[in-house]
Order: sequence, then C-alpha cells, then structure tokens
Amino acid sequence: MSEGSILSSKAGELYKRLCKEEWNATMTGLLVGLFSVLIMAWWRPWGAVGAIRNWGDWMIHGFANLVGAESGLLELYLETPTGWLAGSGSVIGIGFVAGAFISACLGGDFAFRIPPRLELAKAVVAGILMGIGAALSGGCNVGGMYNAIGNLSANGFTMWLGLVIGVVCGLKYIYWEMSNITWGSGGAKTFDFPEGMKTFVGVVGLVALIVGAVKFAGIEDADAIDAIGGVLFAGGKSAAYLKSLSGLLIIAAALGYVMQRGRWCMVQGFREPHMTGDATLAKSVALSICVVAIGAAVLKYSVPVRADGYPVLAELHYVRGTFGWGSIVGGAIFGFGAMLAGGCGSGTLWRVGEGQVKLILVVPFFALANSLMTKWFKNFGEDMINLEREGKLGKYVYMPETFGYTGTLLLIGAVMLIWYLVVSWNEESNKLIIDF
Amino acid sequence: MTITAPADVKADLTLDAKGLSCPMPLLRTKKEMGKIKSGEILEVLGTDPGSRNDLPGWCEKSGHTFIGEKEGDGCIHFFIKKG
Repeated sequence: MSEGSILSSKAGELYKRLCKEEWNATMTGLLVGLFSVLIMAWWRPWGAVGAIRNWGDWMIHGFANLVGAESGLLELYLETPTGWLAGSGSVIGIGFVAGAFISACLGGDFAFRIPPRLELAKAVVAGILMGIGAALSGGCNVGGMYNAIGNLSANGFTMWLGLVIGVVCGLKYIYWEMSNITWGSGGAKTFDFPEGMKTFVGVVGLVALIVGAVKFAGIEDADAIDAIGGVLFAGGKSAAYLKSLSGLLIIAAALGYVMQRGRWCMVQGFREPHMTGDATLAKSVALSICVVAIGAAVLKYSVPVRADGYPVLAELHYVRGTFGWGSIVGGAIFGFGAMLAGGCGSGTLWRVGEGQVKLILVVPFFALANSLMTKWFKNFGEDMINLEREGKLGKYVYMPETFGYTGTLLLIGAVMLIWYLVVSWNEESNKLIIDF
Repeated sequence: MTITAPADVKADLTLDAKGLSCPMPLLRTKKEMGKIKSGEILEVLGTDPGSRNDLPGWCEKSGHTFIGEKEGDGCIHFFIKKG
C-alpha cells in the first residue's frame, strides 16, 4: 500500500469515527458536560425550553394580532417578542438543532420518518404535557434538572424526583396502550435521500453555521439590526449582546452534534433502568451532571467578571423558585409527556435535526403550551402576580448558601454515586424493572 | 459495529416497527418475542437509527442472540434468535 493510500484510508477511518459511528455514552456524557461548562463560561447555561417558548410566543403573538385581542391572556402577547436570531434562548435552540442536523446528514441518519397515526396523536398530547410540565418546573430536563443541579440549585433534585415518577407512569401507560389500543398503526412512511446528497447538505450546513457565527461576531451597528426587526431580529439588543450570540450558536451546535452522534437522551437514562435494566445512559447522565456542577462551582465561586463589569455567571443563574411542589409535579407531567414523545427537551430537538416527524410535531404543541402557561404564571389572577416570584411554586434554593460550595459539591457527588450504585445493582438484580 | 445478517436467514415471525421511534421498536420487539419459541427467529422491520444499538444491546442483556441486520425495501431488517 502506498503512503498516499494509507493516508487516505486513515482519513476515511477518522471520518467514520467522527461523523458516522455512534459515540460511546461515557464519552458523550463527558463532552456534553464540557460544552455545558464552556457555554456557561461564554455567557449562560444552555436549555431547550427558552428557544421553544420563544417560538410559541411568536405563534401566539401572530394570532393575537390577527384577532385583535384586547383583553385576557392574549392581550399580553401584543408586544413583539424577541426575534429568533436576536435572543440567546432561541439562538441556542437553532444552533442545537443545526448541530444535530449536520451530524445526522454527515452520518447518513437523516430522513423524514413519518410515524403511524397513533404516534402522531401521541406527539400532540406529549407536546402539551411537556410544555405544562416545563412551565411548572422552571425548565425542561435540561434547565429544570440537568443544568439546575449543575448550577447548584436545589430545584434540580426535586424535578429529578418528579421525572422518575413521570417516566414510570409513562412506561406503564405505554404497556397498557400496547395491549389495548389497536387504532392508528398504519400510515408510516420514510422519505430518505441519497447518501451523497446528505453529506453535501451536511457540509453546506456546517459552512452556513460558521458563516452565521462570524456574521454575529462582526455586528457593530445594532440599530441597523433592530431596523430589520421582524420575526428574525426584533428586540432592540445591543451590539455587545448580538456579538455574544456567535459563541452561543457554535457551542449549542456542538452540543446538538455530540448528542445526536451519541444518541444521548436524558429521559432514556431515567427510563432504561425500569424498562430493560440497562444503566449505560443513567451512569453517563450522572457523570455529566458532576462535570457541570464542578464547572459551575468554579465559575460561580468568586463570580469572575468581564471587562465591562458584568458577571460571567451570576450565582442565581438557573436557580428557580420551584424547589417544592412545582418541580415535582412539573417533573412528573414532563416525564410522562417525554415518554409519550420518545424524547426529553434536548432529545426532542436533536431528533428534530434528524428528521423524525413525530418529534417535529411535538415542538409546536410544546411551544404553545409552555408559552401560554408561562405567561399565565407570570400574570396570575386579578392582581397579575408572578407565581414563581411570590413563592407559590416552591422556593429559590441556591445550595451553596446552605451547605457552602464544598458541601454542595459533596452532596451532588454523593447523590450521583448513590444513583450510580442503584442503577448498577439493578442491572444485575433487575429489581426495578417494570414488566408487561 | 454493525453485524450483517446472513443472506439466507429465514424468520419465523416478522414485526413491522417502521416509522416508530425510541422506545417503541424495542418495546414491541420485547412483546413480540413472547409469541415465538426458543430457537426461533424474529425479524424486526425498523427505520429508527437508534435501534441499531438498542436491539443488539437488549439481546445481550436478555439472553437472545442478535443475528444481524440488513437493509432493503426502505427499512432495516433486524434478525433475533430467541434464547
């Protein structure tokens, strides 16, 4: 074999490793943790609901303008929401889906997969439940649990508890459904594309992503962006804010890429110990949370500031006033919905990137339900009180204020170790498996 | 690593899981296995890329043999011998 052909075969192997093969769960969990810390160091923790809610705000804003709402909840939507490309939450969501799309195209996984009719009906219900659950919990599995615990906030633990309850109930429902519902098993169709075309589109997507980030980084005239306004650029953000979106876009895309390549789904980590006994993803999620918690502790401990005096990561970032019933009930509703959907908040978005029509359908219903519930909770009753701020959903508990940074990290580590031991024990004993 | 099924593999029962996404292909497979005897082969028709990892992993854990997969007719054909 010539030196040239050896190099070419090695390049082929590298491409296969990076773009085609499924990545090992442990490595994926570590990478998700690393990018989660990097995005916090850049600006803020990532989440899936921020984007989804923004898209829902726009749908209802359009409807409110169309019908000319003058009272009630709809009136609150007359104000123009932040544009898709002008708000940090939405840009993270777009970057995440783009990263997953690039990964799915380069790996040959992309195809429009239309599920049977029953699955489409479940997608609608799942989206609504996930939207309600995320509003009660103060985030989905990412913002309400993964990044909440990672950001040393106690509401992450209570959502964890709710998620376990919801996932177990969801699994029981699916067993019931498989034995009792025969409707809607037809209608499945797959629209696949030639391999070469997918690779080409994946490369184009990657180039577009980089160009997009460079364009954001080069923004100097914020007024010109604001003048464009509309669904893409409304919001009146400063040039510094818009410039920062460049890093968010790229890091969120890296998260989407990694999670699609490793098929890393947090709800699977909660579900598998009860379904098959497999603990691979459960262990990976636990490890990943530890990485984020250590990273957040480093960033929050002395709250480093940027040159202009803004904190890099304020202590109260991702600490929500839902430590209590809000995140337990919300987590249960969200977990049940995620079981029907077949993906959690982040798992839904990366599956959107690989063309799963069921998950594509989940998103608008998740968006509408979450937008409406959040607006209602922020303007509750005649006095229009903010339920979370008034302590009606639970408490704001930043754990280092109670346990100190050392105690908090030890607590998170201990809980993750116990979780690791329980799921490992269950792998051998199968005691937690729920059978048909 | 993908295990390719032998060209002459014959199934005793076929499950159509096309269009289903995680966790439905695995759950339907689990249920369908109850309908065949030990040593018989179940063929699962699927389109979810996740099944490529889920099904062999589940077989290893539950004592079944994952024979392999092959592509055709717009889906992936997975073959499992009941343990």
